[in-house]
Amino acid sequence: MKKILLLLVSVMFTLSSYGQSSIDYSPVNTVTQVGDTLIMKFQYFKGDGNDLTLGQLDFEYNNKLLSYVSHESQAPTGASFARNNWTGYKFVPKADSDEDDMDVQYTWWKDEAGANSYETGADWSVERVTIQSASALENGQEFIKYSFKVKDKFGSGYSNYNDIIKVNWANYQESDGTQIQTTRSKDGQDLSGIEGGNAGNFVINLKTANTDNYTDYSYTVKNGAGESVATGTFDESGQASISGLENNVTYTAEANLTEAASYLDEVVTVSDLALVFAEAIGAGSGPSGGSTTFDYFVQDIMADVVGDGGVVDFQDSYEILAYLQGVDSSNTNLITQDGQTEDYSGIASTYGAVANDVVTFAKSFTPIDSDASSKTIDLAHGLVGDVNFSHSYTPVVESGGKSTSARQSSARYSKRDSEDANIDLISEINDEGQVVFSINSDVEGMVGSQFNIVYDPNVLSLENVIFDTGNTMTNFSNIVQNGIVRVGSFDQNFESTVKEGTPYKLIFTPLETIENTSGLISFRVKEGVKADGTKINFIIQ
Amino acid sequence: MKKLLLILLTFTILIGCAKDDEFLEPITNEEIPQSLQIKELIGIKLENTIVTDRVAMNVKLPLDGKYRIKIRHGINNELISQEMIEAEEGDNLLRVYVASLDKSGYMIQLTDEFHNVLGNQSFVVN
Repeated sequence: MKKILLLLVSVMFTLSSYGQSSIDYSPVNTVTQVGDTLIMKFQYFKGDGNDLTLGQLDFEYNNKLLSYVSHESQAPTGASFARNNWTGYKFVPKADSDEDDMDVQYTWWKDEAGANSYETGADWSVERVTIQSASALENGQEFIKYSFKVKDKFGSGYSNYNDIIKVNWANYQESDGTQIQTTRSKDGQDLSGIEGGNAGNFVINLKTANTDNYTDYSYTVKNGAGESVATGTFDESGQASISGLENNVTYTAEANLTEAASYLDEVVTVSDLALVFAEAIGAGSGPSGGSTTFDYFVQDIMADVVGDGGVVDFQDSYEILAYLQGVDSSNTNLITQDGQTEDYSGIASTYGAVANDVVTFAKSFTPIDSDASSKTIDLAHGLVGDVNFSHSYTPVVESGGKSTSARQSSARYSKRDSEDANIDLISEINDEGQVVFSINSDVEGMVGSQFNIVYDPNVLSLENVIFDTGNTMTNFSNIVQNGIVRVGSFDQNFESTVKEGTPYKLIFTPLETIENTSGLISFRVKEGVKADGTKINFIIQ
Repeated sequence: MKKLLLILLTFTILIGCAKDDEFLEPITNEEIPQSLQIKELIGIKLENTIVTDRVAMNVKLPLDGKYRIKIRHGINNELISQEMIEAEEGDNLLRVYVASLDKSGYMIQLTDEFHNVLGNQSFVVN
C-alpha cells in the first residue's frame, strides 16, 4: 500500500512540474565594464502542452544601475506586439505567496491588489510586453530583446549588481482565455565582475624627508594616453584626495617640488659633496659599475648631477663643489638649487628598485573597486643632488639596496650615519662698530663643513669672510642670494680637517645705526662631514 | 681769562677724545615706555608680540656684564640666531630685527654668558 501511495505522489509531482510553462530571461552577451551594453532576452518555454496565443510579461529593472537603450520585438510574423513602461515604480508581490508563481502574481495584480500592486520607487522602472498571436507560439519563442547600458554603481546607493532585473508576473493564455500556469526561470538577474566606474575618493600620500613643506609639492595623474586627469598640491599632512579616477584603469602619478621653494639652496650641501667625492674615488659608477660606496642604487641617479646616464664620477663631484663655491663651471647641471629642481618620483614600495641593471621609478597604479587598498598609493619623491636624502625619500625596496646585491662593495658611506656636535655661532658689535659673526667649533676630524647664513641686507652689508680653517682646506664663501651667504670648507682628499677654534668669521658693516644685532643674522644649514662620511649635525646651545 | 678758556677747551677736547664706554648707556626708569617696563629685577620684554620688521626690546639685567640674546624656533626650540651683548645692570633698550626671519612663531631668550636662562618671551613674525 505504501508503495502505491509513493508511486502516486511521484506521478502527481511529475505531472505538476510538467504542467508549468515558464518565462525565461537571461543575458545574450557578456558584460564586463561599466558602459557596456547588456542585451537581455525574454523567452517562452512550453511546459504544459497548451497552446499559448497571448503572452504578457511584466518586469522591472534598476534604473540606477541600468539605462534603457532600446528594445527589439521578437514576435513572430503576424503577431501583435506592444511595449509599455513606467519609471518610478516597483512591484509589490503578493504576501505569503510564491514569488516565482507568475500566474498567481498576475492574478494578484489583476484581481486582488488594487492600488497596492505597485509602489513608488525612484530606483526602478517597470516594463510590460504583450504579444498576441492567432496561432500558438512555438516552444522557445523569444518575446523581446532589450538593450541596457551598464551604469556606474558609484554614488548609486548600491554596492553590487545583484537583482537588477526581475520579472514580476506573466500572463500566459490559450486562445479561449484559459490561464496557463507559469513560473519564472530565476528570482532576478545578477551581473558580476563589472569593472570600471568611478573609483571614488582616491588618496595619494607623499613620501619625502622634507616633511615640513608638504604643501610645496604638486601631483599629476595621467591616463594611459598620457593625458593629465588630475593635478593639485598636497595638503599640510602630505596627502592629496582626488576624484574622477575610474576603476580598472591604469594611471601614472608623479610628484614635483616647486622651483619657488625658499630652501632649495639647503638641499645639496657639503655632506652630499663628500658622498659623491667618495663614490668617485671609489670608482663607483652606477648599477653596472664594479664597486661602490653608496647604500642605494638610487644614489647613483641623485649623484649624477651632470646627467650622463647614472655614471657617478669626478665630473659630478667637481660640479657640486663648484656649485657650493659659487663658481660658474659653464656646465649645465641638474643640481637642486635656488630656482631649480630635478624631480624623481614613483610608487614608494618600488621606488629605486633595480631591474635589468636599471634603477626604476614605477609610477603606475590601478584602482580596483573590490580592493580598498588600491584606492591609496604612497608616492615617493627625490631630488637630484640630494645624495644623503636630506630632502628625499629613502628607498625601502630590497632590490634598491646595494648591500642586498652580490656586487662588490667598498667601505660604505651610509647616509644614515650622523652624529651631533656642539658649536657656538654668535654675533656681536666690535669696537669699530662692525658686526662680527663668529663660528666657533671644537669639533675634530671634519673634512668638510657648511653654513648657510641669513642676514638682513637692508641693515647689514657683508664686507669680508675670514677663514682660519687650516692651510690645506678648500674654503668657499658665496652669496647665494641677497641676504644669504654660504660659507664652508672641504678637503677633497679626505685628509685635512677643519681647524678648531674660530674657523669662520663674517664681518658686516651696518647700513644704519644699531645698538645690537638680535635677529639680524640667523643660520640655516649648519653641518659638517667627517672623513668616513659621517654627517655632523651641529647643535647650538 | 684766556687760561681759563684754554683749560676749558683742553678739557673739552680730552673728553671728546676719550674712548666711548663699552657698556650701553644706562637708562633711567622714567625713560622706559610703559610697554617695555619689567617689574622683576631681571627679564626680557618686547614692545609687541606680533612683529613685522623690527621691534623694541628691553633687557633688564642684574649686573653689568656679557649676556646672550637667543632666538629659538617656536616649535622645535632650535636656536636660529644669537648675539652677545655687553650691557649694564638695569634696563637696556635694544631692538630685534626680524625682516630676514621666516614668518613663524619664535621665542626670544635672555641668558648669561654661560647659557643660564634669565628670561623668555614668545613672539610671532607676521
